[in-house]
Amino acid sequence: MSESILELERVRLQYGPVVAVDDVTVAVGRGEFVTLLGPSGSGKTSTLRLVGGFEHPTGGVIRIAGRPVNGLPANRRDTATIFQSGALFPHKTVAENIAYGLRMRRVPAAEIARRVAEMLEIVALPGFEHRYPAEMSGGQRQRVALARSLVVRPSLLLFDEPLSALDLALKLQLRAEIKRLHAELGFSAVFVTHDQGEALSLSDRVAVMQKGRIEQIDRPDTLYNRPASEFVYTFMGESNRLDVTVGGGAIRDLQGHLLPLTLEDGLAEGAWRLYLRPSRLHLSEHEPVRSNALRCTVSMVEFLGDHFRYHLACHGLRLMCDVSAKLGLSEGSDVIASWDGADMRAYR
Amino acid sequence: MRRSGDITARLLWAAGLLVLGVVSVYVALPVAIAFVMSFSGGQILRFPIQSWSLRWYADFFGSPQYVDALVNTLVIALGATVLSVAAGTASAWAISRRKNLATGALTLLHMLPLFVPGVVLGLGIAITFGNVRLFGMDLYGTRFIVMLAHSLWGMPLVMMLMETTFRSLDRQVLEASRDLGAGPFTTFREIVLPEVRTAILSSALFSFVVSVNEFYMALFLTTRDTQTLPVLMWLSLRSAGSPRLAVAAVVLMTIVLVSLVLLASGLRRKERVRG
Repeated sequence: MSESILELERVRLQYGPVVAVDDVTVAVGRGEFVTLLGPSGSGKTSTLRLVGGFEHPTGGVIRIAGRPVNGLPANRRDTATIFQSGALFPHKTVAENIAYGLRMRRVPAAEIARRVAEMLEIVALPGFEHRYPAEMSGGQRQRVALARSLVVRPSLLLFDEPLSALDLALKLQLRAEIKRLHAELGFSAVFVTHDQGEALSLSDRVAVMQKGRIEQIDRPDTLYNRPASEFVYTFMGESNRLDVTVGGGAIRDLQGHLLPLTLEDGLAEGAWRLYLRPSRLHLSEHEPVRSNALRCTVSMVEFLGDHFRYHLACHGLRLMCDVSAKLGLSEGSDVIASWDGADMRAYR
Repeated sequence: MRRSGDITARLLWAAGLLVLGVVSVYVALPVAIAFVMSFSGGQILRFPIQSWSLRWYADFFGSPQYVDALVNTLVIALGATVLSVAAGTASAWAISRRKNLATGALTLLHMLPLFVPGVVLGLGIAITFGNVRLFGMDLYGTRFIVMLAHSLWGMPLVMMLMETTFRSLDRQVLEASRDLGAGPFTTFREIVLPEVRTAILSSALFSFVVSVNEFYMALFLTTRDTQTLPVLMWLSLRSAGSPRLAVAAVVLMTIVLVSLVLLASGLRRKERVRG
């Protein structure tokens, strides 16, 4: 018996010259919630479809519960997918939808009825048995999709961007619900999304994908705080980018202005891209409050609901700074932006 | 200025209404005349009608020749419908799974008979199957060969309708069925068929109506024993035009109209389900 419920070993999917999945190797432990995160075209959905049996790899091995499944069609794999659209059967009622997988597994009718009722309780939709999908809201439909997949007790649940079609409030609510269900039921899951918030909040581990490859796979906090590459850093959240050149012990911007920056580790000579999250900047009017500081002018203030975003101009540089409280600053005000050297990341 | 705009719009509207009225009369008139004539008590098909009577209806349904022709028409139409729906649906399913040059060419090939005149098809089939024997029976002159001939028009109609229907199915829904343990056949039976039931019914009624109406191929391919109502009407018209022909026309129209009403109500139900 293997400890991993899912193993991908150098899995490859190629359509002619197009490589959708490029030698992906990853293992998902029993009860683990792993997210594949990436922009569209990064190969995350293709990878999920390979696991589900909707596509077949052109190279490598996929094992579910230790057994190779290459070439097995979807109906002969012990996985269940929650699709982006929900993909409920439109002419079947909620109860018939949920019962479908059990019927295919020839579960006795009495047990089907019991398990369907139990599932409706779990996804908080009791009394919806006889509704048709067209009579329900998007969020309710997605709960039914979840119930329909959970009820067959698969070895592995596969989520194909199940929240991306929902509006924000519903998205957050259902996200919390999936997290609760995972904690209660302990299923193993692979979750595909392009939303880093979803990935960070739900997952035990997140694999960031780009161009068919896994760039980094780590726990969410590690991924956020110690990104392995520039791509991972920029994909995990918004950032300020400073293009600089290092030479003769000084750091200058591209116009040649001297920047009084100190990084934790010294930088080798040459061109660098420095990154800084908007939330790590501090604004003050007279004295800098952190070790790195730039004198700036406020060019625009944006109100974003739970915080304010200040757009700053510093010589030729542009910075964004997020603060939770409105400062007494308006457009044109002079201000000092400062931050810790450790909050900066350098890539070349 | 707005006032004159209003007047122009109203004039346009009135003109449109007028055209619509004229076209309606033009479309309905032949059917209406046949309908009125069928109640004539006279011996010949001529206006004005001297007396009103149902005698020609009694005559029509009392005539073995006409009743046989009616039965032939219905049996052939049913058979052609079954053939068209079975073959057309299967081809449509196969073609809808992929879209490439080969399926495009196949679709075109299937559509070809729709653009070939019935006379040409009828002649071609008569020549091709004139001497073919199947299970010791001459194929020519049987109802079966007419069913086959009519399915040349029914099948492409079914295929066109079913292909769009199949393409409109949500691929993820079919995948969800496979994902939950159903094989391809079970998925077709459980998920695809209930989804496309209305479309199948509609395309069946289409091919039924096409077969009931068809004249040229039936003329070439039937004998005295298997001739359809349109063929018999044509032959009778050449000898003597009695109001019995008007009755035959009304019977034919009734079959078609009932089919169309069923078709319309089927489509309405489909819309309700979608909405």
